[in-house]
Amino acid sequence: MIPPFLKNGDTVGIVCPAGFMPAERMIACINTLKSWGLRVKIGKTVGGISSNYFSGTDEERLYDLQDMLDDEDVHAILFGRGGYGLSRIIDQISFKRFRKTPKWILGYSDITLLHAHIYSNYEIATAHSPMAGAFIDAGPEDPYLNSIRNLLKGDRLSYSCEPHPFNRRGETEGLLMGGNLTLLAHSVGGSSDFKTKGLILFMEDIGEYLYNVDRMLYQLKGAGKFQKPAAIIIGSFTEMKDTERPFGKDAYEIIRDILSEFEYPVCYGFPVGHVKENYALKCGAEYKLKIGKERVLLEEA
Amino acid sequence: MKRKRFLGSMLGAPLLAATTLTSQGSRAGNRSQTSWRIPPYLKPGDTIGITCPAGFMTLTEVQPAIKLLQDWGFKLRIGRTVGERDFIFGGRDTDRLSDLQEMLDDGSIGAIMCARGGYGCIRIIDQLDFRKFVAKPKWIIGFSDITVLHAHLNHNFQIASVHSKMCNSFPEYPDQTEKGQWDSISSIQLALTGKQIDYPVVYDPANRSGFGRGILTGGNLKTIETLAGTGSDMRTDGMILFLEDVGEYLYSVDRMFYNLKRTGKLENLSALLIGAFRVKPDDPGDEFGRSIYNMVQEQTAPYKYPVCFNFPVGHQKVNYALKCGVMHELNISEGRVIFKEV
Repeated sequence: MIPPFLKNGDTVGIVCPAGFMPAERMIACINTLKSWGLRVKIGKTVGGISSNYFSGTDEERLYDLQDMLDDEDVHAILFGRGGYGLSRIIDQISFKRFRKTPKWILGYSDITLLHAHIYSNYEIATAHSPMAGAFIDAGPEDPYLNSIRNLLKGDRLSYSCEPHPFNRRGETEGLLMGGNLTLLAHSVGGSSDFKTKGLILFMEDIGEYLYNVDRMLYQLKGAGKFQKPAAIIIGSFTEMKDTERPFGKDAYEIIRDILSEFEYPVCYGFPVGHVKENYALKCGAEYKLKIGKERVLLEEA
Repeated sequence: MKRKRFLGSMLGAPLLAATTLTSQGSRAGNRSQTSWRIPPYLKPGDTIGITCPAGFMTLTEVQPAIKLLQDWGFKLRIGRTVGERDFIFGGRDTDRLSDLQEMLDDGSIGAIMCARGGYGCIRIIDQLDFRKFVAKPKWIIGFSDITVLHAHLNHNFQIASVHSKMCNSFPEYPDQTEKGQWDSISSIQLALTGKQIDYPVVYDPANRSGFGRGILTGGNLKTIETLAGTGSDMRTDGMILFLEDVGEYLYSVDRMFYNLKRTGKLENLSALLIGAFRVKPDDPGDEFGRSIYNMVQEQTAPYKYPVCFNFPVGHQKVNYALKCGVMHELNISEGRVIFKEV
């Protein structure tokens, strides 16, 4: 199910269900959303008086998100930032009203858990996209921010990128789903776990040890997640850490080796992840993927 | 419900193992020894194999362990992976796999001590063939990354194993070794020869009193999280669970506890033992504001089983041998903790 797209004058709610974010870091985002003809509703967890890692207590973060989910005058929810925190509240969130009147949920990183949960339990599309912080340094013409606007307007999304030497060429179609590798691994075996058969699965990560990336990929493999996807898209794996004795491979080499026994198409270096080049993607929507010799093209079917 | 859906999507072999053993992995089954098998205890003259299924270790570094194990009266078989190295690993996957496989299959070896942890077991676990091992069980010894092997035996075969220090912790000069470390090393001998271990559990005021009895299981928290959903997923129903970890951020440990909760591993325990958690300091500006105590108390609040902090297990000098798959009881009352095999 695809939530309704936004019209001029519709409202975007902004909340921080995970890490703390000062209110001033939200200004650029608010101004840009307004310039797009949207209204903005700021949740109580934005700014706030929290003195620790989180943007508020579990209850505060839960109620803020719950209010936005239930408020019929809010047409989309954009997260301020990720960090860590959704795992602590996800099982208390009520999706009753959201299921009746779905709305776009936009974010990535820690928010992967919410995408996975909604996809797995309710089969409602969500948006894997940059969050409020990304608006600070981006100009009005920034194609990645504009991809959020295009998504909310209901445009048919189409992105292309340069081929990578590790790519396994091919053409396929399927529902797009994925996100942050750490959160995907974290959700395996619980109530936000999802089946990957037939999916175009995408993954990205930041700041993990290489051996840990390897371990998480072996977990996903052991859980059968790499058996039958239609294709896999690898985004950026940035700021990888290494042990004193080097692991001996970089993240892409680790991924290439683990996926070498399968035959479906795989592309590397897709513009999704903890980098500026991070396109808005509709999780749970049908896409076509062409991994060619000259170009990689991902477009909505 | 989701779990069932997931299991249904798994491949034939692990699925078969999972379904046929469900009754044995059940809550009731884990409150008695009957559905778990204990390998034969070792006698002087029996052979212990040493192998590196994960990180690398040199032959020189293994010498203190060889000497002491021989002093205990055991013969030794040094695997080919000892002294091998492929970056962080004790040899390539195929080398580590075949070395461990031969030791599992060799009827003249009574126990296999992993030289050290590090990382690597998950890369080979699904290629190991446990048929001969199941027909003729032997002790598998180690901790940290070796939690993969303990969890695999827990999930598939209900065969006991020893969670303990490994070759890299055997002291070069026993007479200059701190008592806690020495006693921890000595407890391996007690575990392997079937003698009771006297666990010196220091009372912690944060403990939750009570009595729990069940099969012991547990290990490295991060490793347990990483096995969720795989054919080595640790079963905990009815069991006494122990946990330890090292080098992780507090926020990440918190997320791991939520993983345990969300995969149903905390709800039907007989008792919970919290070992050492030597965490990585928070980055400035990202102070997590919650201790391991807070996390454990939060997660266990809905339940009644006893919770013991400061349990002598983990990446520290005091790290006693624990027999996974064997019945134990924990009694916390009036400022005293008694943990013992029964």
